[in-house]
This record gives sequence, C-alpha cells and structure tokens, in this order.
Amino acid sequence: MRWVLKRGWMYAAMALVALFALFPIYWIVITSLKPRSEIYTRTPDLWPSDPQWDQYPRVLGEGHVGRALMNSLIVASGTMVICLLVSAGAAYVLARYRVRITRILLILVLMTQMFPLVVLVIPLFVTMRKAGLLGTYWSLIITYLAFSVPLAIWVMRGFVMSIPEELEHAARIDGATRIGAMWRVVLPLAAPGLAVTAVLSFLEGWKEFLLALTFINSEERKTTPLVLQTFVGRGDTDWGAVMATSVLYTLPVAVVFVLARKHLMTARTAGAVKG
Amino acid sequence: MSMAPAAVQAGRRTAPRPPAMMIARRAVNRLTLPVLLLLPALIIIAGLVGYPLVRTVYLSFTDTGLGELIYGGSTWVGLENFREVFADEHLRASLVNTVVFGTACVVGTMVLGFAVALLLNQRLKGNLFFGVAVLLPWAVPALAASAIWKWLFDARYGFVNWALVNLGFEGFADYAWFAGRWSAFVAIFITVVWQSFPFVALALLAGLQTIPKEMLQAAAVDGAGAWQRFRLVTLPLLRPIVAVLVIFSTIWDFKIFDQIYVMAAGVPDRSADTAAVAAYREGFALSHYGLGSAVAVVLFLILLAFSLVYVKLIGREGELG
Repeated sequence: MRWVLKRGWMYAAMALVALFALFPIYWIVITSLKPRSEIYTRTPDLWPSDPQWDQYPRVLGEGHVGRALMNSLIVASGTMVICLLVSAGAAYVLARYRVRITRILLILVLMTQMFPLVVLVIPLFVTMRKAGLLGTYWSLIITYLAFSVPLAIWVMRGFVMSIPEELEHAARIDGATRIGAMWRVVLPLAAPGLAVTAVLSFLEGWKEFLLALTFINSEERKTTPLVLQTFVGRGDTDWGAVMATSVLYTLPVAVVFVLARKHLMTARTAGAVKG
Repeated sequence: MSMAPAAVQAGRRTAPRPPAMMIARRAVNRLTLPVLLLLPALIIIAGLVGYPLVRTVYLSFTDTGLGELIYGGSTWVGLENFREVFADEHLRASLVNTVVFGTACVVGTMVLGFAVALLLNQRLKGNLFFGVAVLLPWAVPALAASAIWKWLFDARYGFVNWALVNLGFEGFADYAWFAGRWSAFVAIFITVVWQSFPFVALALLAGLQTIPKEMLQAAAVDGAGAWQRFRLVTLPLLRPIVAVLVIFSTIWDFKIFDQIYVMAAGVPDRSADTAAVAAYREGFALSHYGLGSAVAVVLFLILLAFSLVYVKLIGREGELG
C-alpha cells in the first residue's frame, strides 16, 4: 500500500506521458492499415478489423511517394557528403588552433544556427534563379549546406577536442606531417563523430521543407515533405494515403534515432542544437 | 618582422640576419593549412548566410515586387516597409502571434520536459521503454507531425473529438479546431510541444544525472522535503542548462514555420499565421518582396537578441574555450 502511494503515481504519470508520446504514432500506423470505411467513421476503432497493407504499394506507385522518397534520399545524401567534406577540416582547425579569431568564428557558426530560414530565402531564390538551378536537386543541396555545415562544424569540433592532442604530437615526432597525423591519427579516432555528424546532416536534408517549397517547381522533383503538404492541403484529404506516407517518411529517422540515441544526445547537447 | 631590429640591437651583427622574406614565408607556410581547411566552410557561410542576410536587409528598405526582384530597378523607400509592418493589421497580428504562441510553446515544452526528466531520473521499472517512447516524437519530421495531428484534430473523423465526446464533452462533436485562431493555436501548440519536449527532457535528464547523490542525501538528512530538495539543490545546479534550453526553445519556437504553414493554412483570414509564415506569404504569394523582407528582418532582430544572450551565457560558461 505504501508502495502504491509512493511509487504508484509516478508509474501512472509515466504511463500518461508514454501514451501522449506514442499514441499519435500508433494512430498513424493503424490508420494506414484500415480500409476506407473504417477511416471515415465517427466511431473509430482502436484496432483495424482486418489490417490491409495495400495502402503502401498504392501510395508508392500512383501517389508518387516512391519518387518523392527517392528525391529526398538523393538530396539528403548529397547534402551529407558535401557537408562532411567541407566541415571536417574546418572543425579540426577550430578545435586545434586557439587564437582570437577562432572564438569569433565559433560565435559566427553558432549564430547561423539561430537564423530563421525565412530571412535568407528571398535572396537565395534570386541567386538560384540567376544560376538557372531552380527546380534542380542542386538548388536544395547547395542551400541546405547553409545550415548543415555550421551544425556539422560545431558537433565535429566537440569530437576532435575529445581526442588528445598528444597523440598527434607523438605521430609528428615519429616523422608524420601535420596532414599525415590528421589522416592517420585523428580521422580514425573521430570516426564515431563523423558518423553522428553524417546522420545529423542527412536528417537536415531529409526534413527540410521551406526551401524545397520555394525552389521545387515540378512534380518529378518534389521531396517527401512537399508531397505530404500537397496531400494535407487538399480539400478532400485522403488520410489513409497521408498516414502511409508519413509512416514511410518517418520510419528511417525513427530507426536511426532509437539505435543511435546515446550518441545523438551527446552531439545535440554539445551543440545545443535541435532539429 | 620585428625580430630583425632586435637581433641588430643585441649586437649580433655578424650573425646572418633572418631575412624578412623567410619569416614571412614561414608564417605563410604555418597558416596555409588552417586557412585552406577553413576556406570552403567560410565561403559557404559567407555566401549562403552572410550575403542573403545583407541582401534581405537591403530589400526591406525597397519596394521590390516580382519584376524588380528579377530584373532589378527597385526604389528605396526608407522605413516605409517597417511602418507598414506595424500598421498593417494582419502583419502586426502575426508578430503578436509569434510572441504569444512562441512563449506558450516554450513554457509548455519546458514544464513537460522537466516533469518527464524528473520521472525518468527515478529509474522506474521499464525505464528503457519509457526512454525510447519519449524519444520517438522527436524523430518525426515536422511535416509528418503536422499531418498526424491535423488528422487527430479532424472535425468529423478525428480521434480527439471522438475521445472528448466520449468523455462527456458533447460540445466537441464535429468541433472544427482549425476554424478559429485560438482553437487552431491549441492544436498547433500540442503538436509543437509533442515534438519538442523529448529533446528538453533528455537534455535535462543528462543534467540531473550529473548531480551528486550525496548532495541530495545530505539535504534529506538536514530535513529537506522533496520539493525543497528540488528547489534548493536540483534547480540551482541545473540553472545553466535550463537557461540554455529556454533560449534555444525560444529561438526554435519563435521561428517555427512548417507546422504553422501546414496546419494554420485553413484558418479564416489567416489569423493564426506567425511572423515567419507571414513574411514568406507576403513575399512569395503576394510578390511584396520588400515588405516580406521587412517582416523577416523584424523577426530576425527579435531572435538576434536571444542569440546574443545565449552566446554571452555560454561564453561565460567557458564552453567556447
């Protein structure tokens, strides 16, 4: 009885929080499995009477969600690769060289994380138009670097700083050049940091909506958030399709989050940046 | 360069003077690598953040429409756009919405996040399950989250209305959440808090775990109750991380775009738009690029103030090294 009083309410509170967190996710999954007649009803069932998977092949095919997921994958991967190439060196320098300008640069990097994208979007639109890149993957990959590179620099710098500088000194005494020491000592040790940064910059590209909304002008190049917005914006929304699309769109992110939650948390709190 | 005269003064005239050229070259050699490594990132930040920012500030002082945006030739109108931002009812309302709605989201997120962090810190049975459960909403992209909650809050077939009616609130039968400004904000508020409390909870949990158990035990021995222990020991120790989280949530919730753009789209008179959405619409939907830029600049100035506080704060914590 004492236990119930002392700990019971905590379990009750935790159960409530878990319900709040999980129920919407549960609801999209079962809505995507319900036949039409069970979606559009005023007395929704908590469990589909006869789970049907045909929503998925349907949206992937005629709903063009398959193509949208592919577009998102291309754009996010492109962003990730270029972002890592550009930020790794910068993160190394900002971690190892302690001069006054380092501090200024770091503050600059941090401030870029706080910009509302809407401040940048009009000039970026003009630039992309002049460059003839509107509607291409490149217009998104290039502009996504604006916020993924500062984030990547910040996170990776934290990882480089956790690698003892003495290891590099030792390598250099043994005759390695500065670049050689970076390549053979720092890079292998920073591999987990690179992996986390890769995931984070990929997700930036995977989730981005505002710039895609502005630059993409053809059905063929629409990324997944754009397709979702088109679905939801319609007067007569096909909720079964929307939910199936949301599941497909979220699933890869959720898997990564659950598997890498410890690392993501460290990286995110180090940068105090959230996505 | 200054070493050469020093050597002369020391009377070592016979020693070969280190030629200025060589010293310069050595400095260049030492700097080549860091500069080369920094350059691509700096070009990207300058080109994709710095230049557009300056350009938007410039546009906000002009009457740029679609034609001027593409072919140039806009005229300077001084502070006219900014006067309009505060005179126009819709734009002024969007700024008020940003501040009121943003603040509500920050408070909601922090309170729920703190409560969940404290619960997770109790190490209940099934903590791993709770940890993962709480993490998941964070993984849902904003657009998917907006779609999910729009469906849950659907007037006719939505789960929320069904549940409310079954709980005895008959008035919610067919209640149209997105037909009014405040009810729409309630729905969007829940969406935003749902997405952002996991990060706050997990960050605070990490902070809680660094508090030495002995301190809490000592306080308990001295007769402090649970609430006193929280207020007098836990809270002061967590102050730095709480401050950082509040500032970050503020910045994040004030500039929020995706959820509002999707969920507030059907609200009559667009009365639930926030500044970010209003700026975007003013530009890209109405072709008032100058005015849209002015709204964006005002939003930017609000956020800049918070950013400066943040930078000062972590500068003091010495995190920048």
